[in-house]
Amino acid sequence: MKKITPPFATAIFAVLLWPASLSAADAGHDAAHTLYQNNCASCHGSDHGGYLAPALNAETLKGRSPTALRTIVMAGSFDTLMPPFYGKLTDDQIRGLVKHLQTTPKLPNPPFTIDDMKASLKVYVSDESQLPDKPSYAIDSMDDIIGVAARGKYGRGEGARAIFINSKTHQKIGEIPTGTAAHIIDYNPAKPRWAYVKTDTAEIFKVDLYTMQAVRSIKTGWNGPGMGVSRDGNYLMAGSFVPHNAVILNADTLEPLKTFELEGIDPDGKQVSSDSGMIIGTPFADIFAIALENAGQVWIIDLKDDFPVTRITDVGRHLHDAFLTHGGQKLMVASYDDSIVAAIDLKERKLIKKLEAGCVPHVGGGSAVVVDGRTLGFGTNFGDCDKTVVSVWDLDNMEVVKQIPVAGGTESPAAHANAPYVAVDIISKDRRARTVQLIDKKTLEIVKTLDVGGHAYFPEYSSDGRFLYVSAGYNGDEVVVYDATSLQKVASISMESPAGIFSHGRVRYMTRGLSPDEMATALANSPGAKP
Amino acid sequence: MNTRIALSTLMLALLASPAHATSIYGGQARAAAVCSHCHGINTPSADAPFPPLAGRDAAYLQLALKQYRDKTRQSDIMNAIAGSLTDQDIANVAAYYAKLKP
Repeated sequence: MKKITPPFATAIFAVLLWPASLSAADAGHDAAHTLYQNNCASCHGSDHGGYLAPALNAETLKGRSPTALRTIVMAGSFDTLMPPFYGKLTDDQIRGLVKHLQTTPKLPNPPFTIDDMKASLKVYVSDESQLPDKPSYAIDSMDDIIGVAARGKYGRGEGARAIFINSKTHQKIGEIPTGTAAHIIDYNPAKPRWAYVKTDTAEIFKVDLYTMQAVRSIKTGWNGPGMGVSRDGNYLMAGSFVPHNAVILNADTLEPLKTFELEGIDPDGKQVSSDSGMIIGTPFADIFAIALENAGQVWIIDLKDDFPVTRITDVGRHLHDAFLTHGGQKLMVASYDDSIVAAIDLKERKLIKKLEAGCVPHVGGGSAVVVDGRTLGFGTNFGDCDKTVVSVWDLDNMEVVKQIPVAGGTESPAAHANAPYVAVDIISKDRRARTVQLIDKKTLEIVKTLDVGGHAYFPEYSSDGRFLYVSAGYNGDEVVVYDATSLQKVASISMESPAGIFSHGRVRYMTRGLSPDEMATALANSPGAKP
Repeated sequence: MNTRIALSTLMLALLASPAHATSIYGGQARAAAVCSHCHGINTPSADAPFPPLAGRDAAYLQLALKQYRDKTRQSDIMNAIAGSLTDQDIANVAAYYAKLKP
């Protein structure tokens, strides 16, 4: 974008107004603050520090033309999630908002305490025992359910829903309005009727998949996507970007049990307060693992007593997401700033190795497939570097096998034990963003590029591996379904700005691409496993 | 989806007319880049104040876009956006949206 020096007129205008209308200015500030929180904060951060979208504060917008900023607010920004606010906000509101953004510093980490969480608990169905004990619709297996986080064009409102689909018939079976955009959907591994939907603004909805309704919700922070479910299905853990904390909840009642302040010494020796990265429960043990993004640490929390914490330090610089392998004993954590994926042994509770991972690795849900007796992991990278690759690692020996050149930055790989290809979404901001590329599991070569439309992302296989679901996100407004082998389009399911796609089958194969049979074997051999 | 119908229509159009024939695919690309951000493809956002375009009469859409372009019809945002479209773009986009089912 062209940078324009701001005219002095704005400053003079402000100075002229200042002495005359101090209280009016305060009122204007409050109104603008409310407008920001209600329209912008879910993507740009409650603290003006950025989240899914850039930080908007006095520092980041210094020197930007107010006219240019107004245009972006009015017309939206193409090829991004930024919607047009023309007609939704008045011209005066947009002007006020731009002025507010250019004069407001990034806010100090606003608190959200365990008491705030408790006060936010909402109960929609008071007696869950009265709910029917089987699905109210025809479905062969609950694993056939695929959930889609439909963001809604404005990241909130009517279009913001968790939408559940029968992945054999490609028909919608339920829609749960979430207020603000749904971001993550997790399933309870022990109790198949329950799903958990977390929004951009850190509300968690407990959803009954049998009757397709939310039964409870709780707000766990201001912003942040991190969420995991324990293997016994009794605990949830959620982490926030704003504020820097995480919480363990009772998975049945959503009552908060304990909060954790996320801080520690980063790999450069600095004591930092940290965003929450991924949170994951593992079939391997009764623990949660959580990545502290800025502190570069992974914490392992035992689900006993007072939830004691084991800290693994110096994992990487700016950790983000992760996936499990080897029966859930090994955790592969992506580290943005040093472009590695760190392998962690959850049994020994130590770092095994740091593996080269391309450029700004973002592994999404990750993928692992067994080919000729080797377990191969696939990692995507969303950096826009000269060389854009998908990394393939041998997860048995923790070695880099290959870095496969792909068309652009990638965000999420999908694989399935029964499907021949690993799908990666190209997210580079031009026509390439419409596409998904398919990598042959055996040859590790790109075999096909699918033009899905919109800004295609978050591929996911149905639990039987027969179908590949892809969000034609942003303006695509549909989820497109392909036959996993012929790669022919077989269905389209319309919704507003679909994003993440989550198969219920994930609870059986742990990481996408692994076989449920291996999982069962690994589970039987793990310590403390139930018979 | 009507991919097959759209395809055969396109092929007929290609066969029947000389250069500068209306292109549904050209319209689709332009609509994706220029219109869909507000108007959506099949429908705008449930929360949006923008009118749906899918299934509207092609002649009407062309007329409206040309009026926005020459500012005989006033709208800050549409005057600016239509200003970037050529006659060919307008014909393509109108043909594309007219073909869609709302």
